[in-house]
Amino acid sequence: MTGPGTGVSQPSAGAGAELGGHAFLRGLPDSYLAVLAGTCRPTAVREGYRFFTEGDTASLFWLIRSGQVALDLDSPGRSLIVETLGKGDLLGLSWLVPPYEWQFGAVAVQDTTAFELDAAAVRAACDADPGLGYALLRRAMSAASSRLRAARIRMLDLYAAAGGPQDAP
Amino acid sequence: MTAPVLPSRYRVAGRHDETHDTVTLDLRPVDQPIPVCQPGQFTMLYAFGIGEVPVSVSGTGPDAELAQTVRAVGAVTRALCAAGPGRLLGVRGPYGTHWDVASAAGGDLLIVAGGIGLAPLRGALVTALRHRDRHRRIVVLIGARTPAELVFARELAQWRRAGAEVEVTVDRPTDGWTGHVGVVTQLLGRADLDPARTTALICGPEVMMRLTARDLLALGIPAHRIRISLERNMRCGVAECGHCQLGPLLLCRDGPVVSYEVAAPLLAIREL
Repeated sequence: MTGPGTGVSQPSAGAGAELGGHAFLRGLPDSYLAVLAGTCRPTAVREGYRFFTEGDTASLFWLIRSGQVALDLDSPGRSLIVETLGKGDLLGLSWLVPPYEWQFGAVAVQDTTAFELDAAAVRAACDADPGLGYALLRRAMSAASSRLRAARIRMLDLYAAAGGPQDAP
Repeated sequence: MTAPVLPSRYRVAGRHDETHDTVTLDLRPVDQPIPVCQPGQFTMLYAFGIGEVPVSVSGTGPDAELAQTVRAVGAVTRALCAAGPGRLLGVRGPYGTHWDVASAAGGDLLIVAGGIGLAPLRGALVTALRHRDRHRRIVVLIGARTPAELVFARELAQWRRAGAEVEVTVDRPTDGWTGHVGVVTQLLGRADLDPARTTALICGPEVMMRLTARDLLALGIPAHRIRISLERNMRCGVAECGHCQLGPLLLCRDGPVVSYEVAAPLLAIREL
């Protein structure tokens, strides 16, 4: 689907409208959606499918439409799940930031459907049109901020036992 | 006084070990039972000779039975959690405000629970499922520390069969866990909520409730349709002693269930 130069194909209004229904892109102008549609294809994977592995080049990213994906880290003898993502979530942030290498792995823990986007093509489109770049970065920043907040909350261990005010230990 | 302060004796008729430190006690009245409890209200539960603590009501039965879920965190709650069948406990109440599930009829009901916060919400959920046709969607989002620390795990399948959409997320997954991993607020965006028609009931650690409410406001659910359950130092239960004061509220009477519209400015004051 991609053309020469920026790697962006001709806009597709239908595909753009479909993309615009995804929570991550909601509110993005049609012209930007059409550009992104040219870098994107729908994909469906089975439970157990590995989207990427820690350390690999981040050449794609996904917008999850259904299912569930676990971000993981390899540890001797087992895989540690960092968090899970689902419908409406952006899968993959490392494609935005040099050196464009995955910081975690990602595996489908349920049958999953997603829009798969070509990272280099999207970056090129963002370079060519800073308006699109800013709009996408704001959305990615919002996702990153939300995950950072979630990680901080988990560090607080809020559900750990604490005595009530009148029940002395 | 709006409710009796003399405890009624109840006998432990059964117990369910929810987690390593949390127990649900099934209580049957020995004396005159306390008045009917509404979901969200609490009782003062008395371990004779040891002390009394506020405990939310997690269920009621047709013959004035009570289900009360207790986490062992101190001397009194340890004694309550150790109570086996036949043991007598004192119960007074019920006290405070309730979830007012009926007011959510006609729309979507969202229940967000963190940890043992599911206990006071259980009654609201059971009530809503009993009248399933009164609500459009019933969405239940539960956060727990680990899979082993999830309370009422044995009832999740039953709630799903009865028409609730139930999702569980844990902070720390263990081997074999195939559900969500992360904080419960992360499930909100995936729930396809209709903000214009949703009533949200939230119970859990105060930080969790505040962040959940904030996210729901951002999604467009108005503050007056977000309810949280607040806990302070409940002692008398009848708004006489003042220990449970939160600004202008005495939470044993004006709470524990409070609209977020009322609670939000109070929770922003550190000294309260």
